Amino acid sequence: MGSAPTRSEVLSLFRSLLRTAREFSDYNVREYTKRRTVDAFRDNRRLSNQAEAAAAFAEGKSQLGVAKRQAVVYSLYAPKVKSIMEINHS
Amino acid sequence: MKPSYQNSESGNGVQTRNLKPSYQNKGDLHSEITGRGNGVGFEIHRTFSATFRLMSSSHDDHLDKKEVADRVLDVIKSYPKVDPSKVTPDVHFQKDLGLDSLDSVEIVMALEEEFKLEIPDKEADKIDSLPLAIEYIYNHPMAS
Repeated sequence: MGSAPTRSEVLSLFRSLLRTAREFSDYNVREYTKRRTVDAFRDNRRLSNQAEAAAAFAEGKSQLGVAKRQAVVYSLYAPKVKSIMEINHS
Repeated sequence: MKPSYQNSESGNGVQTRNLKPSYQNKGDLHSEITGRGNGVGFEIHRTFSATFRLMSSSHDDHLDKKEVADRVLDVIKSYPKVDPSKVTPDVHFQKDLGLDSLDSVEIVMALEEEFKLEIPDKEADKIDSLPLAIEYIYNHPMAS
């Protein structure tokens, strides 16, 4: 199908996903996005099969698109009250 | 860019305080204002703000290298996969700490958050050891 992504492409996708995660105003979604990308990339590290790697990469890219769009939507309806986890602990 | 004289919280905030006594020398100010006209009053303001600016431009906006090093060390040590006892000031992420490239990316992201920076991908890929990280952040003009 597609060719396997290069190392730098994978790292670039990883970084983009983490950067997009930061844009979320909602604490829960932000943490989930970070957690999920780390878990997914780590699980797929060992994939040596070209087709599988390409499929995982394509999946990652579409998820990046989803995250970016959702970040915009979430920001439109962001509540004013912050989550308890974001309040600085004294 | 925030004006540098508002930077009194980083480093010695003493400078802005020192300027007050000379300004509050009421005798001089009063005579200048009621006095000879626009030129004198304007000059007072100019010298005041000139000294103000002079004192604040000599104030180093940059973070202290030691402070940068300490904060970077803290970030690395609080990364869950890192064994804090192995962290030395010249540690290499992949060779010494046994991390992989994904971990390096995560650490650079954590450093970005700590120092409120945006590190472009090309530069971030080069940061793979503690001294490089400290060097980059110390030389970055926007680090805080």
